[in-house]
Amino acid sequence: LRCQLYRPQRAFHASAVLRRVSDEHKKEPSASSTQQFDSHPTDHQPEEEPQGPRPSYTGQGGQESEDYESEEQLQHRILTAALEFVPEHGWTAEAIAEGAKTLGLSVAAAGMFHNDGSELILHFVSQCNTKLSELLEQEQKLVQLGETEKKTTEQFLRDALEARLRMLIPYIEKWPQALSILLLPHNIPSSLSLLTSMIDDIWHYAGDQSTDFNWYTRRAVLTGIYNTTELVMMQDSSPDFEETWRFLENRVADAMNMGNTAKQVQSTGEALVQGLMGAAVTVSNAETSKALR
Amino acid sequence: AAAGLCPCRALLGGRRGALRALVRPARGLAAAKETHFGFQTVSEEEKGEKVYQVFENVAKKYDIMNDSMSLGIHRVWKDVLVHKMNPSPGTLLLDVAGGTGDIAFRFINYVRSIRERQLQQKLKHHQNLSWQEIADSYQKEAVKPLGDSQVVVCDINKEMLKVGRQKAQHLGYSEGLSWVVGNAEELPFDDDKFDVYTIAFGIRNVTHIDMALQEAYRVLKPGGRFLCLEFSQVTNPLLSRLYDLYSFQIIPVLGEIIAGDWKSYQYLVESIRRFPPQEEFKAMIEDAGFLKVDYQNLTSGIVAIHSGFKL
Repeated sequence: LRCQLYRPQRAFHASAVLRRVSDEHKKEPSASSTQQFDSHPTDHQPEEEPQGPRPSYTGQGGQESEDYESEEQLQHRILTAALEFVPEHGWTAEAIAEGAKTLGLSVAAAGMFHNDGSELILHFVSQCNTKLSELLEQEQKLVQLGETEKKTTEQFLRDALEARLRMLIPYIEKWPQALSILLLPHNIPSSLSLLTSMIDDIWHYAGDQSTDFNWYTRRAVLTGIYNTTELVMMQDSSPDFEETWRFLENRVADAMNMGNTAKQVQSTGEALVQGLMGAAVTVSNAETSKALR
Repeated sequence: AAAGLCPCRALLGGRRGALRALVRPARGLAAAKETHFGFQTVSEEEKGEKVYQVFENVAKKYDIMNDSMSLGIHRVWKDVLVHKMNPSPGTLLLDVAGGTGDIAFRFINYVRSIRERQLQQKLKHHQNLSWQEIADSYQKEAVKPLGDSQVVVCDINKEMLKVGRQKAQHLGYSEGLSWVVGNAEELPFDDDKFDVYTIAFGIRNVTHIDMALQEAYRVLKPGGRFLCLEFSQVTNPLLSRLYDLYSFQIIPVLGEIIAGDWKSYQYLVESIRRFPPQEEFKAMIEDAGFLKVDYQNLTSGIVAIHSGFKL
C-alpha cells in the first residue's frame, strides 16, 4: 500500500498551477462560501469544502501541503473563468477550454470535465444559489436592525424569485441548452438537489417554521412557481422581462389565495360536519322520545 | 515546425546501440541492471536494442498485423482515445512511439471536423453576410484548416517513422504534421511545450517507464494532459482464459504467416503480460507528478486508457 503522504518525488514538482491558498485569499474573498453540489445550506452557510487542500494530493505531509489549493478548488476557478465565454460558445467544453486559457493553463485542462458541459452549468447554478442566500441573509440583517420593514410573505417570495431569475439574464440565450442538459439522467440528482436546497433556503428566510405537512406543500408550490416562471422567461421578449415578472406576481398571488381557499374549505367542512352531527343528535332524540311515548 | 520545438537533440537509438556493442567487451566492470524482454531476462541495454530490432523487422507489416491480431478492433480503441482527448483547434499534440501515425492522423481528422463545425456556427450567426464575405471566410478557413493545431510524431525507430511518412503521403496528410526521431526516456524537446502527450501501445516497450513518465511531465504545459493507451489486465476471468489462449496460440502463428516473424510476436504477447496492471500503472503516473489520474478499461480490460493532468 502506498503511503500517500510520503512521495519524495513529488517534492520536486512544485505544482505548476495549484496556487498557494494565501494568494487565493487575497484575490477571492468570496470563494469561501462556494457550495458543494449536494450540500444543504443551513443558517450559517458552513463551508462544505475545506479551504486547505487534502495533503495526499499536493505533496509531502507537513507545512508545504497545507498552503496549496486542492484540485477541486482549481476546477472551481477554471469553471468560474469559463462562464465569461458561455455567451459565445454555449455551455460546452470549448467554453471551459477558453476559461482554462485565461488562467494560463493548456486547453487540454478542459479534459478534466465532462464533454457535455454539465459541470459548468451545475457550478453556475450553485454559484447563483449562493449569491441568493447571501442576498437574503443581508436583507434579514437589515430587517433585524430595523433599517427596513419586514415584507409580506407574498412580496418576499416575489422579490426572492425575481432576484434569482435575474441572475440568468446575461446567459439567457444559451439557458435553454443548459436546462436540457440539466435534465439528462446523470445530472438529475445534482440539479434536483440544488433546486430543492434553493427553495428550502427561500422559505427559511421567509420565516417558515412549519413542521407539519405544510412544509412539503409549501416547497412543492414554490418549486412549481419557479420552474414555470423560468420557462416563461425563456421565451419572453418584452423589455426587461416585464411579462415574466407579471406572470410571477400572478402565480404567487394564486398560491397565497390557494392557502386561503384551503382554510375556507376546511372551515366550511367543519361547519358541515357540525351541522350533520346536530341533525343526527336531533333525529336520535326524536326517536328516543317517540319510543318513550 | 519541429525545428522551432527541439533544441537539436535528436537521438538515434540504432547508432547508439551499435556503439555500445563495441564498447561493452572493453568494460566488463559494472554488472548491467537486468530487466525483462518478454519472458526472458536481459540487461537493460540489451532490451533497448532488442526492442529496436523487433520493430525494425515488423515495421512494414505493422498495420496489417494490427488489423489481423485484433480483428480490426485496434481502430476502435484508437478512435476512443482521440474522442476522449476531445482536442480543440490550436492544440499541440506530441505522439510518442507514434511510429506509423495512427493517432496523429485521427487527431488531424478530428480537429479538421471541429474547425468546420465552428466555421458553420459562426456563419449561422451572421445571417446577413454578403456572398463576398462568405466566400472570404471560406478562403480564410482553407488557409488554416487545422486552426493552428499541430502534431509531432516522435519515435525511436527510423523504420517505423519511414512507414508513417509514406502512409501520410499516400493518404494526403501534409499540414500540421512533423516526424522526429527521439527516445521517450530523453525527449528532444523543451519544457512546457505541448498541450497533450499520447503514447499508444508504446510504453510497455520502454526500458525505464518511470523516466518516460517524467519526460512526459516535463514537456507538457501546465494544465496539459497525459494519455496512454496500452494493453492491460483483463478483469473477467473467463475472458482472460480465452484471451491467453488466443494470445499464445494464435498470434505468433499469424506473425509467422503474415509477417514471417514468429519471435517478434512472441515478444509482443509476452511483453503485454509483463506490463503492470491498471492500478499499479496509475500509481506510477501519480509518482511522476500527474494529478487527477484515472483509467478507463476498454474491451473488459484488454486495453486501458490512462489519463493524467499536469497541474
